[in-house]
Amino acid sequence: MARKAKAIRDFQQITPVWNVLFNLFAGIFAFMCVFPFIFVVIISLTDESVLASEGYRLIPSKWSLGAYQYIFESGDTLLRAYGVTIAVTVIGTILSLFMISLYSYAISRRNFRYRRFFSVFAILTMLFNGGIIPTYMIVAQLLGLKNSLWALILPLAMNAFYVMILRTFYATSVPDALVESGKIDGAGEFRIFFKIIVPLSLPGLATIGLFSTLGYWNDWFNALLYIDDPNLVPLQSMLMRIETSMQFIQQNSANSNISMAALQSLPQDTARMAMVVLATLPIIFAYPFFQRYFVQGLTLGAVKE
Amino acid sequence: MGNFFKNLNRNKVLLFMVLPGAIWFFFFSYLPLVGTIVAFKEYRFSRQGFWASIINSDWVGWDNFKFLFSTEDAFVITRNTLLYNIAFIALGLVFSVLMAIILSELVSRKMSKIYQTGMFLPYFLSWVIVGYFVFSFLSMDRGLLNQMLGWVGMEPVQWYSDPKYWPYILVLVNLWKMVGYNSVVYLAAIMGIDRSLYEAAMIDGANKWQQIRSITIPMLTPIITIMTLLAVGRIFYADFGLFYQVPRDSGTLYSVTNVIDTYVYRGLMTTGEIGMSAAAGLYQSIVGFTLVIVANYVVRRVDKDSSLF
Amino acid sequence: MQKGKKRFSIAITMLTAFSLILSACGGGGGGSSASGGEGDADNPVELIWYTIGTPQKDVDTVMAEVSKYTTEKIGATVTMKMIDWGDYQQKMQVLVASGEPMDIIFTSSGGFDYVQNARKGAFMELDSLLDEHGQDLKSTINPAFLEGSKVDGHNYAIPANKELPQQEVWRFNKTLVDEYGLDISSVRTLDSLEPLLKTAKEKSPDITPFAMDKNYVPYVPYDYVIQNLPMAVKLDTTDYKIVNILETPEMKEALTTMHKYYKAGYIAPEAATTGSTGDLMNSGKWLLDRAQTQPLADNSWSASYGYPVVSTPASDPIITNNSVQGSMMAISANSEYPEKAMQFLNLLNTDATLRNMVDSGIEGTHYKKTGDNRMENLPESKNYDMPSYSLGNNMLLYLNPNDPDNKWDEFEAFNESGTNSPILSFNFDPKNVSSELAAVQNVKEQFWSSLMTGTVDPETYLPQAIEKFNQAGLEKVMAEAQSQLDAWKAENGA
Repeated sequence: MARKAKAIRDFQQITPVWNVLFNLFAGIFAFMCVFPFIFVVIISLTDESVLASEGYRLIPSKWSLGAYQYIFESGDTLLRAYGVTIAVTVIGTILSLFMISLYSYAISRRNFRYRRFFSVFAILTMLFNGGIIPTYMIVAQLLGLKNSLWALILPLAMNAFYVMILRTFYATSVPDALVESGKIDGAGEFRIFFKIIVPLSLPGLATIGLFSTLGYWNDWFNALLYIDDPNLVPLQSMLMRIETSMQFIQQNSANSNISMAALQSLPQDTARMAMVVLATLPIIFAYPFFQRYFVQGLTLGAVKE
Repeated sequence: MGNFFKNLNRNKVLLFMVLPGAIWFFFFSYLPLVGTIVAFKEYRFSRQGFWASIINSDWVGWDNFKFLFSTEDAFVITRNTLLYNIAFIALGLVFSVLMAIILSELVSRKMSKIYQTGMFLPYFLSWVIVGYFVFSFLSMDRGLLNQMLGWVGMEPVQWYSDPKYWPYILVLVNLWKMVGYNSVVYLAAIMGIDRSLYEAAMIDGANKWQQIRSITIPMLTPIITIMTLLAVGRIFYADFGLFYQVPRDSGTLYSVTNVIDTYVYRGLMTTGEIGMSAAAGLYQSIVGFTLVIVANYVVRRVDKDSSLF
Repeated sequence: MQKGKKRFSIAITMLTAFSLILSACGGGGGGSSASGGEGDADNPVELIWYTIGTPQKDVDTVMAEVSKYTTEKIGATVTMKMIDWGDYQQKMQVLVASGEPMDIIFTSSGGFDYVQNARKGAFMELDSLLDEHGQDLKSTINPAFLEGSKVDGHNYAIPANKELPQQEVWRFNKTLVDEYGLDISSVRTLDSLEPLLKTAKEKSPDITPFAMDKNYVPYVPYDYVIQNLPMAVKLDTTDYKIVNILETPEMKEALTTMHKYYKAGYIAPEAATTGSTGDLMNSGKWLLDRAQTQPLADNSWSASYGYPVVSTPASDPIITNNSVQGSMMAISANSEYPEKAMQFLNLLNTDATLRNMVDSGIEGTHYKKTGDNRMENLPESKNYDMPSYSLGNNMLLYLNPNDPDNKWDEFEAFNESGTNSPILSFNFDPKNVSSELAAVQNVKEQFWSSLMTGTVDPETYLPQAIEKFNQAGLEKVMAEAQSQLDAWKAENGA
């Protein structure tokens, strides 16, 4: 049987020439996708002094670990930023999965009397957004979340778009009969949800979880608005601040007061690239895991259809 | 009235489930909505804060909109938003499907996995980081690209102040970031195609190309249609990070990098044109939402289960 | 349908009502606003101060110390919030628009734009406050600062007392000057540089005789209405006519000279595209460049490059809007204690103890005094490293070990030497021509750097640039500016 399957597969194969071409094509594109990261790693390992004369080289004439040394000696800023980002991402993803899945499950239930109201309630939020300033006032002034991790977590916790995706997922892949049978067994709604629905909808949850993890990990904007405390600045925002400050100095280069004062506080080129590398590393290690889950989710969904 | 409470009681558990989300929507989506009024006012600061400023600012009716549409800005940002999105959708589709088919046909599963992993990486990186990446190539005096131009004896190019290259750069960067992800989605769909279809085709003597053309692509069509329609629905919304971080907010490039989202942002954060910014935001919301609704309607006609609502 | 509409309007009403409640508890922070009289040593009020710069670890510690001092003096405590360089503009925009409580705001032409925000009502008008609580300040800082920083006839911020005029100088790499035996005493105009550049080029072909980056613009005796846009008024003007700088004979001549230098190889081929001359400065492979000076600048340049740099004037010292608005502190329009804030600004700009505490931190922790008005940083100062220019009167600062005794006298003398630009304190309001202005800006980016650095031949490119500018609407912008300037002149009787 196995042999036969193999034979069929072999028979299905493209010709060796095409196989080589396809490999080349996919290989080159895959390489292009990772190359910028490798390049930045190289820059971060270049000696600052040769950078000035020869620019970013693929093979610099002088290597150095100086940039990393600088970062680790310059204190715990980076470490703190890591901590903040990880905490926000973990808490945020769990919280938003919790809120989104409960909301979308409820509005996917046909016997929920207010499902239309709450569907529209969610959809309408996609129509208008009030803008940055009113949102700022709610978060910072009304809820008083300024300079707290919650200011980084709550604003991204819900998303009408994800609610709708997940609702569709529940509506199509969780049969009503299952819920009914649970009810007959005497289980409460919450019990049904956690014991029956959640395990069934793992692929969907994983997808939403991935989106929301990425959203939290890559967010810099909320930190720009709500975080003044240097101890609570997340990674992306830290990188962003270095960048905007550089630009500010360039724009105001005529004003020697500013450039003198500001330049002192900024890391050099190689050190900035080293920070980019360090900020990317956790993703490099974590994403293949995500990828597996994600692909599984997709494949499951595809098979079911 | 009594009926109302009876209903509440009967649905209390499900109500309890939507409660956290509903509260969130109220605070983070509905309360800030009042701010939209600014689009119809000439905003002036007032001592008592934002709401008081809104109330005390003069009504100017549609003036902010008139002004927005009388400048070239409105045209430029609409054109940029639409054209870029169309390019992203069209090219993204072709490349992703092509890549998915290639990956599915590779003889070595293992190599296919490795390639996928490589291609998937950019999707996980933030635009801040991508901005740094792009800078390492395009930096005027240090970038790799100018060095390469030097090797072939060409003059260095000032990438960040010459608009003519940016439509290509932005499309490329966007493809670079999204193709991996999308091809994995399509690949998953290809893997889900019933193998017996191919077997039957082979028995009929179809070669590989015929199989791809008459099985793989037709089987992919529904998901392609849906993904594309959803993207078309969001054609009025641009990827803020791509257009803000990657060109490093360079003023010279605005003619080709300014999209509605960046315009709204800059209006608020740099130039302080709060009224204009709100007007542009409202314009985007209304046109954008209409498009989402239309797209959703069409998706529903195509495949009821895949529609958003 | 009818019913639905009604329900919708009820929802809107409720939302509005709710937000009104919000505004009551959000913005005002209690009903005690505008009663600046309260607050004394026993019962101090809190002043919130937003300023620019990388947040420092010890800000709160230092401010606690500052507060002790100010509580005693004026009955107010100080909380300082620092916002990083690049974020300042954006963040202040949001904070001010949302009515975040604040009293004192750093503003300048480059960060949280002074004129624009004064016009939008972000700052409190200070005229009467200055008279009531700012008398010491008025008599301490150079009056030209307050006069020059008026917007539409009123003061909205207190400029920091520092170098007042702008003066251009030619800077020379002294090592090379000595090596080639050059005489720099007779240098003044662009043309007078030629023999020096020529010698340098002949003696060592591998250096860049005339260093510059893409922001370089040849000096001409005009003051620009908007920085870096080609509209300007001649410094010795009598008719206050705004001209296109590219059409002036002075600029034409300067550009021709620049192109001559460029062709002779005195200027780096990549000048029009280089962002900074930092690398050249580090390597010391340059003969001269042009820069803005201030007293004792030669010393600080030499110190930061690690080799001697000397300079000679390239222009007269001129007091312009840009020089006056370089660093200012405004009182927020929503300040609860505007009078206290004014008293604080008064103290900060006149009281050396307070000013130095804000600048250098706590004596004995961050710095130690080595004389009457001298100090030395201690290692701890790395946790409190502040940009001095943004924190008020610079001339009260204690001297660093390598400053000469007469540092501030030199500044005084320099400030006295400045002459006013004819359009000092005229601030163009671009509201009516903002779209033309954007188009003009685009044309500028295309032509400006290559023309100004001499990279292209002005014979062919200057007429082209002028035509492109006019197509983009420069003439309309100039006409608008002219009519505003005429109105301003009539009002100010200039």
